[in-house]
Amino acid sequence: MLSEPSGRPLSLPEDPEPVPRPWYARFWQRPFFLLVILPSLIASFYFYAIAAPQYVSEARFVVSSRGSDGGAQAAMRGMAAASAFGGLGGGMASSETNSVRDFLTSLDAVMDAHGKLDLVSLWQRPEADLLAQLWYSEPELLTQFYNKMVTVSLDPATNVTTLRIRSFRPEDSKALAETLLASAEALVNRLSERSRNETLRVARQEMELAEQRVQESRAALMRFREQERELDSAGAVQAAVTLRGQLETALAQARAELTERLKFMRPDNLALQATRNRIEALERQIAAERTRHTETSAGGEGAVLARQLAAYERLMLEREFADKQFASATASLETARLEAQRQQLFLSRIVEPNLPVYPLYPRKLVSIASIFVGLAIAYGIGWLLIVGMREHAA
Amino acid sequence: MNAQGELALVVRGARMQLRVIGALIIREMHTRFGRHYMGYIWLYFEPLLLGVCIGLIHAWRDRPMTFGPFEFHAVGYILFFVFRGILNRATMAINMNRPLLYHRSVTLPDVFFARHVIEFLSCTGVMLALLFGLFAVNGNLPESPIKMALAMIMMALFSQGLAFLAAALAAAVEGAERLVHALTYLLLPASGLFFLVEWLPEWLEEMALWIPTVHLFELLRDGQFGSRFHAQYDLAYVWGWIMITHLLGLAALRITRARIGLE
Repeated sequence: MLSEPSGRPLSLPEDPEPVPRPWYARFWQRPFFLLVILPSLIASFYFYAIAAPQYVSEARFVVSSRGSDGGAQAAMRGMAAASAFGGLGGGMASSETNSVRDFLTSLDAVMDAHGKLDLVSLWQRPEADLLAQLWYSEPELLTQFYNKMVTVSLDPATNVTTLRIRSFRPEDSKALAETLLASAEALVNRLSERSRNETLRVARQEMELAEQRVQESRAALMRFREQERELDSAGAVQAAVTLRGQLETALAQARAELTERLKFMRPDNLALQATRNRIEALERQIAAERTRHTETSAGGEGAVLARQLAAYERLMLEREFADKQFASATASLETARLEAQRQQLFLSRIVEPNLPVYPLYPRKLVSIASIFVGLAIAYGIGWLLIVGMREHAA
Repeated sequence: MNAQGELALVVRGARMQLRVIGALIIREMHTRFGRHYMGYIWLYFEPLLLGVCIGLIHAWRDRPMTFGPFEFHAVGYILFFVFRGILNRATMAINMNRPLLYHRSVTLPDVFFARHVIEFLSCTGVMLALLFGLFAVNGNLPESPIKMALAMIMMALFSQGLAFLAAALAAAVEGAERLVHALTYLLLPASGLFFLVEWLPEWLEEMALWIPTVHLFELLRDGQFGSRFHAQYDLAYVWGWIMITHLLGLAALRITRARIGLE
C-alpha cells in the first residue's frame, strides 16, 4: 500500500468506493504507520512501561607518579606540549593510564570482578527486564555485556579517567565501581612495584658483589697475619732496614777504629784482636740478616721478608680497591633508590563512586526520538527506491 | 489481493531496474574506455597508479612510523579514490546521459547506481591487488579484512548519497560542478587519509571526529593494523550521514528529473 506524497492511493482507481473517507480512517493501514509509527509506539511502551531503571555510578581517578605530582600538573604539561608542538603534540596520556584503561575493559578485569562480586547474578536481578538483562554466563560474552554496561573513558587533556557503571540496583553499581577501582589500584601497585624492583635489582646486585669483595679482602689479610705472625709486614721491613743500618754503622765504626789503632799499635796487640773480633761478628750478623730477608736458601726458608712484603702489599691493594668499589656501589644504590621513589605510581581517586538515586538509564526520550527519526528516514529512502522500481515496471 | 498486485509490480520493477543498471554499466564502460579490450585495464590502473605513487612519495619522505608509510598511504588512497571518483564524476553524469533519459525505463538513479558499481568494484579489485602485493613483499596480512570491506562499502554509500546531492545541485545551479571539484580537493587533507586521530592534539581530535570520512579511514586502518594503534570511530554516526544524504539526494533527484523533463 504505497501512496504518493499527496496522499492518494497508488492502486489503480478500480476501487468501487466513490465516497472519500477521512484521512485518519485508514491511517493505521498506511505503510508509514506500520513501519514507522507502530515500532516507535512499541518502543515507547517498552521504555515507559517495561524497561527496568538502570542506575549509574561514576568514579574518576588519575594515575600519577611522584615525579609529576597529580593530574592538574599533568594537564598543564599536556596543554603546554600541545601548544608548543603546534600540530603534533597529541597523545599526552601516560602509558600507565592507557594500560589501566585497557585492563579495565579486559577479560582479566571482568573475571577478577566476577570472582569478588558474581557479575552474572548482578546483571540478572529479578527486577531487570528481559531486553536489558544479561543472558549468558560465558566469560567472553560476559565481557561483551560488561563493556556495554561499564565505560572507561580517558580525557587525554587532563589525564583523568572516568569510570561509569550501569546496573539495576544503586548499591550494585556502587559496589562494582568500588571493586573495579580496587583492582585498578592493585594493578597500578603491581606495575609500580615491578618497575621499582627492576630499577633497584641491578644496584643491589652490584652492592652485594662489592660487599663480598670487601669481606674477602679483609679475611685474606687476617689469614695472612695469622699465618705469618706478623701484624704489619711493612713495619717489619722498616725495622729490618733500620737494624741493618745500625749494624752497618757499627761495622764502619769498628773498621775505622781498627784502622786508627793500627797506626800506633803493634798488630798483635790484644786490643786490636778484640776489635777484629767485633768486626767479624758484625759482618757475620749482616750477612745473616741479608740472607734472612732477601736471599733464597736451599731450605726454602729464605727471602722470607721479601715474600711477606709482596703478599702483604697485594692484600693491602686488594683491600683498598674493594673499599672503593663498595663506596661507589653504595652511592649508586642510593641514586637508584631515589629514582625508584620518583617512579612510584599512584592511583589517586578524584571522585569516589557515588550511590545513585535517580536512574539515568535507559534514556527514554532520546532513544525513542532516535528510533523514530531513524525509521522515518529509512522509510523515506525505501519509499523513494520502491517508487523508482515501480517506474520501471510501469 | 491489491497488496499482492502491488508487490508483484514492485518485484517486476526491481528486476527491470537491475537489467537497466546492468546495461548502463556496459554502456558506461564503453563510453569511458572505448571499445578496445585493453581499455578496461585503465579502470584498475588509474587508482593503482595513483595509490602506489602517493605511497612511494610518503615512503620516501616520511620518517619511519609504527607501520610502513607505504602501506598506510597507498591503501588509504584507494579508499579516498572511491570517494573522489564517485563524487567528481557525479556532476557530469546527468549531462552525459541526458539522451538516455528519453527512454522511459531509464531513471536518474539508475545512471548513478551503474557508475557507482563500476567505481566500487574497480577500487575493491585494486585494493585486493595491493594487499596481495604487500603480502607477497612483506608477508603482512590485514588483521581484519571484514572491517576493511565494511569501510569500502560505507565509503561508497556515503559518496553515493553526496553524489546524488551534487548532481542535483549541478543541474540546478550553473557552475556548481567546479565548486564540487574544488571541495573534494580541499577536503583531501581533512579526510583522514594522512593522519590517525590519535596523532592529533586533543582540540583537533574532536573537530576531526565530526568529519564522517575520518571515521571510515579509522575503520579501514583498524582492519589493516588494528592492534598497533587505538582506533576511534563511531559507525552509527556515519550511518546517520549515509541515510540523510540518501534521503535528501534521492528526493533531490526526483525533483531534478521533473525539471529536466520540462525542458
